[in-house]
Amino acid sequence: MAGSVPFNSLIVLSFVVAGLMAIMPLPEWAIYYRPEWVALVVVYWVVNNPERVGIGVAWMVGIMVDALTGSLFGLHALGLALVAWLALRLRLRLRLFTVYQQASLVFVIIGLQLLASQWLQILFDLPHGTSMVFLAPAVTSALFWPLAWILLRGAARSLKLK
Amino acid sequence: MNADKRFGYMDHARQALGLAATPFYWLADTPARVGGALGEIFVTRTELLDENARLREELMLSRQRLLLAESLAVENNRLLALRNASGLLEQEVLPAEIINVSPDPYSRRVLINKGGRDGVFEGQAVLEANGLMGQVVQIMPFSSWVLLITDASHSTPVEVSRNGERALARGSSDSDTELDLEFVIPTQDIEVGDSLISSGMGQVYPKNYPVAEVVSVRRSPGQPYATIRARPMAQVWSTRHVMLVLEAAEPDFPVLADETDSGADEETSLASVNSAN
Repeated sequence: MAGSVPFNSLIVLSFVVAGLMAIMPLPEWAIYYRPEWVALVVVYWVVNNPERVGIGVAWMVGIMVDALTGSLFGLHALGLALVAWLALRLRLRLRLFTVYQQASLVFVIIGLQLLASQWLQILFDLPHGTSMVFLAPAVTSALFWPLAWILLRGAARSLKLK
Repeated sequence: MNADKRFGYMDHARQALGLAATPFYWLADTPARVGGALGEIFVTRTELLDENARLREELMLSRQRLLLAESLAVENNRLLALRNASGLLEQEVLPAEIINVSPDPYSRRVLINKGGRDGVFEGQAVLEANGLMGQVVQIMPFSSWVLLITDASHSTPVEVSRNGERALARGSSDSDTELDLEFVIPTQDIEVGDSLISSGMGQVYPKNYPVAEVVSVRRSPGQPYATIRARPMAQVWSTRHVMLVLEAAEPDFPVLADETDSGADEETSLASVNSAN
């Protein structure tokens, strides 16, 4: 396919940037509200380019995130694979929605991911939150979804025009 | 996941991926570093002079305290020698810098810029200028993760410097910056303001480093244990510079070596072990 090399590198670059944002040091009050940047990027690519980014890619990205954050291997991999699967199932619907309707679905998808990783953290006796605050990143992710959408779509379109 | 958690099969993969992750940390740390560099460039001369004066004053005070401490250390070592116990060892340290903190808000870990290539090993104690900071839990070639003493899954063996009462200080699960003293029965003599020092048990931390200060004690009748909160002496969240304790010469009798303050009969057995050594 013509132009697939720059396109693939755009995908890699977007995951690199998302990974950076995921480990960027934040002030103390903000760390509970850090959006799940990598999950947002996974949702975007699964919805728009499911032939390039699917559950397998999401899994591998998750392994990289696990290595990056020093968390238990597979925690983010499972979470992101779940995100990719949900986004694949909801893909056609998501494409019809306006960006704000999408945000509400993104809230649900990332909420489910957080819930799954909370369960795993409890199962494996890892440090975890004891209040509902663990769902806070789902809210902020939904709030940042329009921004992520616009940025990624802009980047992808500028590549396609060339 | 289970393989990683329980058997450590993934350690090598982790190391390799950790190597790939190093530039990420460097990049993610850039804003803080640039900010720091800019802050250093844009200081006025008077600020520098002020700081210089302040540092000089501090240095003088510290020197004076050090003199006192040295004489005390000498005296202490002599007394210990009289009792035939092992003297305190001077510990060498390796300076390191914190380059990132764990993005997981529920685990209190920091990443330092020294790794396996610098001789860092798992379980190495990490100190800060004011006290104990944590221990190394995961090593990558150029960096390593340090578990802080405030992590809810971390317990530090401590003793009260006033009277030698022992306890375990565990990171509090509902406060970012405090420690809970676990399994302290109500009759144990621990008061607000007591300073807790590392007891050296558990073979991870060196003895006699300040760990925390007790901030609240609640003894309620009917509860088997007292509820005691302590605040770490180390500036766990606001420092960038830490020290890794290089291992002192490994003693041949690891269990007894750190128990110089136990009961009398143990002391005599210790003394015999020492003299035999």
